[in-house]
Amino acid sequence: MSLQNEEAEVIIKVKRFSPEKGNWWQEYKLKVDRFTQFTEALRRIKTEQDPTLAYRAACHMAVCGSCGMKINGEPRLACKTLVLDMVKKYESNVITIEPMDYFRPIKDLIVDLDDFYQKMYKVKPRLYPNEQVLKGEAEHRLKPEDQRMLWKFAQCIWCGLCVSSCPSVRNDPEFLGPAAHAKGFRFLADPRDTITEEREKILLDSAWRCTYCYMCYNVCPRDVEPVTAIKKTRAYTKIAKVKTPVIETGEKHTEAVFNSIFESGKIEEAKVYLSTYGLIGSLRDMIFLLQSGKLKYALVKEKPVENITEVRRILRGE
Amino acid sequence: MEKVNYDVVVIGAGLAGLMASHEIASAGYSVAVISKVFPTRSHSSSAEGGIAAYIDGNSDPNDNPDYMAYDTIKGGDYLVDQDAAELLAYKSGEIVKILESWGTLFNRQPDGRIAVRYFGGQTYPRTRFVGDKTGMALLHTVYERTSGLGKVDFYFEWFAWELVRDESRVRGVVAFDMRNMIPVFFKARAVVIASGGMGMLYKHTTNSYINTGDGYAMALRAGVALKDPEFVQFHPTALYPSDILISEAARGEGGILRNNKGERFMARYAPKKLDLAPRDIASRAILTEVKEGRGFPGGYIGLDLTHLGEEYIKERLALAYEAAKAFAGIDATKEMIPVRPAQHYYMGGIDVNIEGRNPDIIGLFAAGEAACVSVHGANRLGSNSLLETLVFGRETGRAVVEFLKSYSEPSSDIDKEAEKAEQSAYDVVKRESGVHFGEVVNKLREVMWEDVGVFRNEDGMKNVVSEILKLREMAKDTYVLDKSNIYNTEFYNALEMKNMLDLALVIASTALNRKESRGAHYRLDYPKRDDENWLKHTIAYLRGNTVEITYKPVKITKWKPEERVY
Repeated sequence: MSLQNEEAEVIIKVKRFSPEKGNWWQEYKLKVDRFTQFTEALRRIKTEQDPTLAYRAACHMAVCGSCGMKINGEPRLACKTLVLDMVKKYESNVITIEPMDYFRPIKDLIVDLDDFYQKMYKVKPRLYPNEQVLKGEAEHRLKPEDQRMLWKFAQCIWCGLCVSSCPSVRNDPEFLGPAAHAKGFRFLADPRDTITEEREKILLDSAWRCTYCYMCYNVCPRDVEPVTAIKKTRAYTKIAKVKTPVIETGEKHTEAVFNSIFESGKIEEAKVYLSTYGLIGSLRDMIFLLQSGKLKYALVKEKPVENITEVRRILRGE
Repeated sequence: MEKVNYDVVVIGAGLAGLMASHEIASAGYSVAVISKVFPTRSHSSSAEGGIAAYIDGNSDPNDNPDYMAYDTIKGGDYLVDQDAAELLAYKSGEIVKILESWGTLFNRQPDGRIAVRYFGGQTYPRTRFVGDKTGMALLHTVYERTSGLGKVDFYFEWFAWELVRDESRVRGVVAFDMRNMIPVFFKARAVVIASGGMGMLYKHTTNSYINTGDGYAMALRAGVALKDPEFVQFHPTALYPSDILISEAARGEGGILRNNKGERFMARYAPKKLDLAPRDIASRAILTEVKEGRGFPGGYIGLDLTHLGEEYIKERLALAYEAAKAFAGIDATKEMIPVRPAQHYYMGGIDVNIEGRNPDIIGLFAAGEAACVSVHGANRLGSNSLLETLVFGRETGRAVVEFLKSYSEPSSDIDKEAEKAEQSAYDVVKRESGVHFGEVVNKLREVMWEDVGVFRNEDGMKNVVSEILKLREMAKDTYVLDKSNIYNTEFYNALEMKNMLDLALVIASTALNRKESRGAHYRLDYPKRDDENWLKHTIAYLRGNTVEITYKPVKITKWKPEERVY
């Protein structure tokens, strides 16, 4: 056990906001040590320098999800970030703190999370157990490995960081967002739950609206991997009874990617596009590609990889 | 002032408040839950190691609920009301089963049943757990369930400021919408205070920043007594120096406390239970080691998990591992974790019986850490607080339902009282100069830690009482720099400061008054327990700057007080 302390003077620049004054940057100078968390730095600023600074913080141990913000541009929990770690990472004693993106700022670092909560409620975030169990007449058993798998996705603390950094949420109002999908999948996959069909109806269409950019994977302070939950949710498509156009497109796309790899061992963008969106859809979208000068990339003809028979063998599951 | 009407107002959306709300709403009554934070951000989420339960058919074959009650009573150094401990033990299995049926992902045994582990002070292992984020898992489950009823109105990011009462009854609560500072009078037939603890009174605490003791102070100002307010728990293993809780599960799973010589020093303080001694004993042992020169520079000792193996540590003690890594730069699979005691829990609280009913005001109830049912006595056992919130949250909810069945409307007009309560909040915004809340609060936390902490004595506490009186005087000049109505957190911090000062005076005065050592209340000048004079509950009222102290007998059913050795 070797605790190495160090001290440094840092400048924390906070992007402040009030409805009356709009945005402005304010600098605070303070001394921190090796172990100073950003929540503690903010508490000291508020109690020793500027009582008007507004932010949310509660547990200071990364389980309550109150203190999501952007530190040097990174979406982070303030409590789970040490000031000196950021100083070292960016080789600068000047650090910026801003409110999370996407959500409407209310005051300084406090943002309006109502949109986030509404998305969470949409996935019916609770177990609907068998009536007999509720009455105490029967008991659930759960395999340890199921518990472990579900618990991974149940550890979401509703901090909003993933949603704040998700491009799909911004562009597609029908997309439930990464956190809601993690929550949704945690119940969809729970063998104790009884409303699987309804959950499929809520989750499947939205699951195909994710672009797999992995921002949620990167920023989640609890390593929940919402994108993995989305992938696992898509696997329910095969058995789903009701399919929407988005789901069907998704299925076609998966099949097209499979076929392309089967044929050439590579993804041939033009072919995949054509199979997914059909001739008319592809021609329509081609205009955009032409305009942006990217058409040449789409039309690259891939040669099959050398050992294509090996690839096909694997894909056939042999 | 705007008014809204409910059958019941619940203050606090942690486990106790939600569980009570669930019971009340399920019986068809209207409920408003007021909370400073979104429900899942309540401090219940920070509870780590587990929830104790005797489950018939899924416990040690030699165990029974009476042993569990006995452990709780002995753990509490016989200041426990024994009927409460029995109720806690006998309902524990049922409560865990309910939570399981609502979806909590308890760790499992290979056959699919709920797993179990040891915690301090348990004769047999009884702690059920979800990794070491049990509180978070339970809180999310109960919130999911309660919000799913569609019958509870949640007012989150609202600040409950004062109870409104007439001569004999509680009539509601005045609260502010934190987003715009608009006050609302929540008229109610019953009020449940479930606002949690008060760790922010201490410089070193594992508690959330939001735990400022609001409920206790609100009750005190309404003329309600606190029971056993001198009993404050210090957790032995808070991470040095950030005071992040390293769960007792670490010791329950086999972790060993070692001093700077590598000695397993608990052998000297609790020869039988060793590292699994209750928290008060372990905290004193650590600070004694440090004081006698066997600690590490800075004042901490080591918690050794290295022998447990990497895989085991990462699965069962994930949070301890993560916290050591993230906040102290220590790899717990290879090195000891630096720990020292920090304030952790408040055994004292609003005086209630086992139904959660307060005897001072009709219609006032309390549950969870805000309440003192007297189930923890002078020292709470680990894993008993989550259990208490759910068992007594439910009992309280049921008692409220019974209370409402025979309720008759009062005729007197109460709106004037509510106006007064509203105005009392505004002192701080009317002033144009003076002191900021931070100055007062930081000083208060310092003196409380120094002299009303793990070790206490007459001179120190007399000094603290006079310091608190000075701070109360100084606080009269508190002013708020932020003039905006929108999310004026400074305004609420100033109100919290008032709450902290009210509670601190009561804690320090009653600690000074109790001339013995019992559980977490350890006096260097009276190091022995004194059953002859002090086997009784303190009942304390706050009248201005004076703390009025009376006593209540401890309820003893089966277990005669004996010497407490581990």
